[in-house]
Amino acid sequence: MAKCIITRLTQGIIVLLVVSFVCFTIFQYFGDPVLALAGRYATQAQQEEVRSKMGLDKPFYIQYSIFLKNTLHGDFGLSYLAQIPVLGLILERLPASIELAISAMLISLILGIGLGVIVSLNPRYFINRFIMAGSLFGISIPTFLIGILFIMIFSVTLKVLPTFGRGGVIKVIGNWRTGFFTIDGLRHLILPAFTLGVYQLAVLLRLTRGGMLEVLREDYIRTAWAKGLSPRIVIFKHALKNALIPVVTMAGLQFGELIAFSIVTESIFQWPGAGNLLLTAMYETDHPVIVAYVMITSILILCINLFVDILYRFINPKIRYE
Amino acid sequence: MKKLILIIVTMFLVLGLFMASGINSIAAGKDSIDVAVAAPPSTMNPHGTDSDSNQSVMGNIFEGLLYRNTAGKLLSGLATSWERIDALTWRFTLRKGVKFHNGNDFTWEDVKYSFERLKEPHPVSVFLSFGKMIKSVETVNNNPWVIDVKTTISVPYFAQNLHQIFIMDKESTETRSLGEIGQNPIGTGPYKFVEWVKGSYLKLTVNENYWGEAPSIKNAEITPITEPSTRLAAIVTGQVDILQGIPVELFETVANNINIEVITRPARRCIYLGLRNSPGFPASDIRVRRAMYMAINEEEIIEKVMFGHAFPASQIPDPPTVGYDSTIKRFPYDPERSKILLAEAGYPDGFEIRLTGPNDRYVRDAQICEAIAKQLAKVGIKVELDTKPKALFWPDVSAHTLEFFLIGWFDGCYDSGRSAGPLLHSVDVEKGYGGSNGADYSDSTLDKLIEESAEIVDPEVRADKLKLFTRMAMEEKIVIIPLHYQEDSYAVYKERGIEFTPRADTWILFREISLK
Repeated sequence: MAKCIITRLTQGIIVLLVVSFVCFTIFQYFGDPVLALAGRYATQAQQEEVRSKMGLDKPFYIQYSIFLKNTLHGDFGLSYLAQIPVLGLILERLPASIELAISAMLISLILGIGLGVIVSLNPRYFINRFIMAGSLFGISIPTFLIGILFIMIFSVTLKVLPTFGRGGVIKVIGNWRTGFFTIDGLRHLILPAFTLGVYQLAVLLRLTRGGMLEVLREDYIRTAWAKGLSPRIVIFKHALKNALIPVVTMAGLQFGELIAFSIVTESIFQWPGAGNLLLTAMYETDHPVIVAYVMITSILILCINLFVDILYRFINPKIRYE
Repeated sequence: MKKLILIIVTMFLVLGLFMASGINSIAAGKDSIDVAVAAPPSTMNPHGTDSDSNQSVMGNIFEGLLYRNTAGKLLSGLATSWERIDALTWRFTLRKGVKFHNGNDFTWEDVKYSFERLKEPHPVSVFLSFGKMIKSVETVNNNPWVIDVKTTISVPYFAQNLHQIFIMDKESTETRSLGEIGQNPIGTGPYKFVEWVKGSYLKLTVNENYWGEAPSIKNAEITPITEPSTRLAAIVTGQVDILQGIPVELFETVANNINIEVITRPARRCIYLGLRNSPGFPASDIRVRRAMYMAINEEEIIEKVMFGHAFPASQIPDPPTVGYDSTIKRFPYDPERSKILLAEAGYPDGFEIRLTGPNDRYVRDAQICEAIAKQLAKVGIKVELDTKPKALFWPDVSAHTLEFFLIGWFDGCYDSGRSAGPLLHSVDVEKGYGGSNGADYSDSTLDKLIEESAEIVDPEVRADKLKLFTRMAMEEKIVIIPLHYQEDSYAVYKERGIEFTPRADTWILFREISLK
């Protein structure tokens, strides 16, 4: 186990190096931040002054090595746009993204697995076929459209839920604000969380149903029924537990994506998360924010994957990592 | 199984309760206001960016030596009077008894410090070019309330720019880190900074010790909502009181809503087409330039592409700008004449040209380019479209390699002489001209006029000279092909009884807004 974790960590460091290198290479071809930062009336000489002060006139490998050195000291530099340390900027936004991702994850896990089980028990029922057809919509309609539809239906027409933002939040520690403990905060969470979770919900639902249908045909389930065990024990203890293995992997992988790729949802609902920050940064060629964001989310995803690997072992002891 | 269904049903019930637990809360209290803007403020460092979306916020917290009212007229600010003593000297009398939000007194040292600060390049200041023109700031006869600012070269628009050069507190700026300065602004303005949750909202409260008239709005909240349809939903549901920037595509929907009053005004920004005249290029022939101008049907662009929300332009400066000449008219749309001109110039079958433009910068920029391509095709000019994100477009402009490009511009200090330098003067790295002259347009007569106009001290004489320049550039030389001025639009939620006159510079200054 320890050996496996160590291997995973080394792999992780290599991945981070590659990711940061790719980021840096792309920046060489994506816009010139100096043009905006020197001001629109700057002369060429003044632009060059800014460029050399920022170290952007140095060769690529030197810029990259300076970046690596600073990053190892925990210094991601100042945002071009905000002139504020990047790390603080992202960490301030991350709680909102994580809360959104957790809520979306919970919704998709509970509803996805729950509905998946129900559907698998009587696949021929009309209502269950209807749910399956609905799940196809969930997979194929783009998040963007779902968000706009939700706003149109629940905010503009029915006027029951707010359209944007996080609503009432409480400060926990430092810049960590949470919307979990106020009614207003929770009401603001509903639409974005469902928007973000719909796709996962549909995927998990189909995955659970598929797994369940397969497992329910197995001999040991038939034996369990024959033994006269209660449906609860047969379905949840014997069938679901075995059907869940691919679901857990999928959910784990997707949790990282929920955090990293909630950009669309965050921008529709003006959710003040890190994805929203990234979008502005890309639009305004704010390179330090982009690279720090990519690095931090990479670390997050690496950690989640490691965690899933460990969890996996507990669910299915047959799996060995040696 | 039954239990599972029960759980799910309960969950939906709880959810339903939440939804029912409240109608949408109307934005704020009696003397508070909530404004939704399209672009979030990026920094609280008042010299950190010159984008109007940020200056709009800074203008509430900070003040410049001068102030502009909603009509764009220059009035006194932290300076009570100002005059130009000679070509290089500007004299200001400072306002006494002004305090910064942290309690520090406003003195001439703060002015000197703030002006010096402009000279420091990023990450401190984006007003580098303006800062470098300031040579010294000195008191006159040791009177700390009268100062002389000397410039290195003649800067005729020096005072014109001072409404957006904000004065910072020397003591607290020197002692705090950039990160602190960028998040906790300390100014002298009518509003104090309360809280900024980035991406979410920025809260301001009235400055009780403000030297001027007390504003009627006591608390203000600025909420950025970047997604247009969400922004509209926010005003339709009354979650915000004023909304800036109605997307032209959704304009009718908003205008038809009985709860909302729509206010519009011509924007200052002019959208135009730059065109190369270097030898060997078709457009080096004035007949070709005229032909291209006359082949463009601006009325159609405004009606079909801009949905009627733009105003035809005949020159780059807008009416309040020094150098605007109201006698200049657009060339008529005349494709037949255009074809004849092309034939005369030796292009009876037209030619090929590449049109470059941004696709995420101006209102419907890429669609305008497409329309231009179609219109030019009718006279035989084959346009190859090259629209790209602004991050990739700006480097092309500063490389001066473009042949034909779409760009927008307005001058923040209402002086066409200042903008002519980077836009229309031949590229001259040494003298610092032509920085945004993307097609390297070059004409020695115009260059001379631009350089001469900067030396003229008498504002009347200079204004005439600039008018002459504009007329010559637009009618005789056809330096650029003007298209239109955009439109600024605002939606106001009627129920609150808000009195609001939009500013020419699109800043939203809460002291200028009142509640009935």
